[in-house]
Amino acid sequence: MSQEFFIFVVMVGVFAAGTFALKWPVAVSMLLASVAGALAGGFGVPIRHLVEGTFGYVDTILTIATAMIFMNAFKDSGGLEALSAATIRRFHKIPGLLLVLLTFVVMFPGMITGSSSASVLTAGAVVAPMFAALGIPGVEAAALIAMAGILGMIAPPVNIPAMIIGGGIDMPYVGFEIPLLLLTVPLAVFSAFYFGYRFVKKTDISAVVRTLDTKTLDQYGGFRLFSPVLIVLILMVLDKALPKIFNLGMPLIFVLSTIPAYFTGKRFNILNSAKTAIEQALPVLGILVGVGMFIQIMTLTGVRGFIVVNALSVPPALLYLAIAISIPLFGAVSSFGASSVLGVPFLLALLGRDQIITAASLSLIAALGDFMPPTALSAIFAAQVVGLDGYGKTLKKLVIPSLILIVWALVFIIFSKQIRTLY
Amino acid sequence: MKKHHITAIIFLALAGAAAIVSGASFLAMRKPDIIVPGPGVSEVVMLSNWYPQLKGTPGDTEVYILGKGNPGASMLVLGGTHPNEPSGHMAAILLIENAVMTSGTLYVIPRANASGFTHNDPQEGAPQSFTIQTPNGPRVFRYGSRATNPVHQWPDPNVYIHASSGQSLSGSETRNRNRGYPGRENGTLTERVCYGIVQLIKKEKVTITVDLHEASPEYPVINAIVAHPKAMGLASETVLGLEMQNITIGLEPSPVNLRGLSHRELGDFTDTLPVLMETANASQGRLRGRTDEALVLTGKDKWYVKAQKLGRLYVPYDENGHPLEERTGRHLAGITELAFSWTLENPDSALEFTGVPAYAELQEKGLGAFLRPLP
Repeated sequence: MSQEFFIFVVMVGVFAAGTFALKWPVAVSMLLASVAGALAGGFGVPIRHLVEGTFGYVDTILTIATAMIFMNAFKDSGGLEALSAATIRRFHKIPGLLLVLLTFVVMFPGMITGSSSASVLTAGAVVAPMFAALGIPGVEAAALIAMAGILGMIAPPVNIPAMIIGGGIDMPYVGFEIPLLLLTVPLAVFSAFYFGYRFVKKTDISAVVRTLDTKTLDQYGGFRLFSPVLIVLILMVLDKALPKIFNLGMPLIFVLSTIPAYFTGKRFNILNSAKTAIEQALPVLGILVGVGMFIQIMTLTGVRGFIVVNALSVPPALLYLAIAISIPLFGAVSSFGASSVLGVPFLLALLGRDQIITAASLSLIAALGDFMPPTALSAIFAAQVVGLDGYGKTLKKLVIPSLILIVWALVFIIFSKQIRTLY
Repeated sequence: MKKHHITAIIFLALAGAAAIVSGASFLAMRKPDIIVPGPGVSEVVMLSNWYPQLKGTPGDTEVYILGKGNPGASMLVLGGTHPNEPSGHMAAILLIENAVMTSGTLYVIPRANASGFTHNDPQEGAPQSFTIQTPNGPRVFRYGSRATNPVHQWPDPNVYIHASSGQSLSGSETRNRNRGYPGRENGTLTERVCYGIVQLIKKEKVTITVDLHEASPEYPVINAIVAHPKAMGLASETVLGLEMQNITIGLEPSPVNLRGLSHRELGDFTDTLPVLMETANASQGRLRGRTDEALVLTGKDKWYVKAQKLGRLYVPYDENGHPLEERTGRHLAGITELAFSWTLENPDSALEFTGVPAYAELQEKGLGAFLRPLP
């Protein structure tokens, strides 16, 4: 047994014991697993490394915290409920199309920010009550929102995993639009029908429309109530379209859009609303901090190299299997981390293929990291915006679509040259 | 006091202690390496001399001038563009501490991204410094980050758009000095440093610019010179010269569609002949094992040896690794050969120096033999 494997076993063992046997918070278990790994590697308790590792998620933490504050403010203003009511009232006669459209709505923030969390926490939270009204149970709704979140992250124009993978071999992010659309749009339509259609077709939506509570909507009017969401969308688009002028970044966009939410609907205590939001987000933020330490110690002690080289050690025939398993698993650290650490070496191992389609496909598989515990950002937030207590059942629902996603991406890699001739 | 309040206070105290210990460690990174100017150094000026807006910023950095006012051609050597690629930094320091110009002028910037030397990349587990033993005692050098310190330039956008071409890259590349050329006068700190270097090249009419880098062993462009089309002739002769010394090196044309890099933009936007050189550095690679000072100095890594056997690398790799002496020696041999090739073709505008350790000499005696005693 190599020393790195021993350290890896120690780290995973301490984490599992802390989380499952001793019922510690995941973040605390990850901290102690990191300390144990460093001790096993002969590095003592490297406080500088533990703190440094957490810095990798500062921007993500700020985005999640501010997004949660925004969504809570929008909900407390009555906007969220009213938006649901207004959409169902307008589109209830075409439920199948409505389902697909709402899936694309969830994808949209991810498409322009490159973040599945942004999708799930904004559009996902807005759409969640609409899915409920359409008769989709919470677990299925959460799974659909989570899947739409990662598809939004991968769909063009902004796909950060593809940029990271391409950047690793000095390939500019040019010419990715069509392959990314071919990869994501069919999966989005499939997911909408897979998760939702059997419920929607059974639901008497006319009855739902008759029981809708539209009091807040009628009192303040749709445009006024929904304006905070419009402001978020406008600022996101301006950020993308005119980066030299705006360049606000997601945290500032959410903060700026929270302010009008205080004036556009029902009166609420904005400080209490923000406090509740941070309380809701804190476990996830803690996990991110813990994961940051965990990966720093894995890298420091050589465990990361051990994992990467062993993933690359498989015979050529099993390379696709290694891609299918190792990239999503490593995504437990983060999908961006998996893109860099494994996506780049795998792209180099596949140099004979069409590079753009291969990188795009690897980025799609890397996105599955956002379903992988303990980070599982997309799944955790999707369960949260739907109002579920945990995200375990949501993850189970995502297994089959995730396998289909992997197969779809691998087909694109295997036939990349043929696909390239199609456009 | 309730039990959970006591727990909270204990955790806050622990967090405070961790912040103090790690904060002291991070602040220590801001103390720059001591570089001892050798007999060939005429003058040390700051980059802000050519672009005053940089003055007082963390991007301002020393420019060592050797042979100032000499007739002949000139060369600019950029070390430390990526401070986690130490052979470029060390080659620049050895030039400063040893080279003496006999004709022409040499400009050396050892910390081309001074801000990048003040921190490490999160989740990379890198050492903060490495020590080289010399006959006069140990000399310590910083091992920094590939990018500008986010304390100096933050936040990153989601997507970095290269200003003059509109090319999109991942947002973290905003702080990559070698994606920011030709720079912008009122851009980010990274772009302004690039702009300052472009001003130096233009105002001093620098003939040749050499950007010293290292690459992961799994990266295809390695042990290579990357040259702009107009520097291809000079680079070809240099490669031939190095091959005659049994130094195997590749020659790559600068890609037209990959923007912001020195070998592309300096050639397009100035009259200099830009080349970039790469050596093999395991300590920045994705496949590396234990990450520590020894890895930086020796390049010995069992996982890279395994990866080589699997055919996953673009450079030979065995149990002997690629020590810092070898990597620094390759850079110095390349620089010497570039000057030689230039002078051979342009005897009326010569670029010649003495005192720079040869490749074999560096392997034999080690880096420490060529580092001056600290004052």
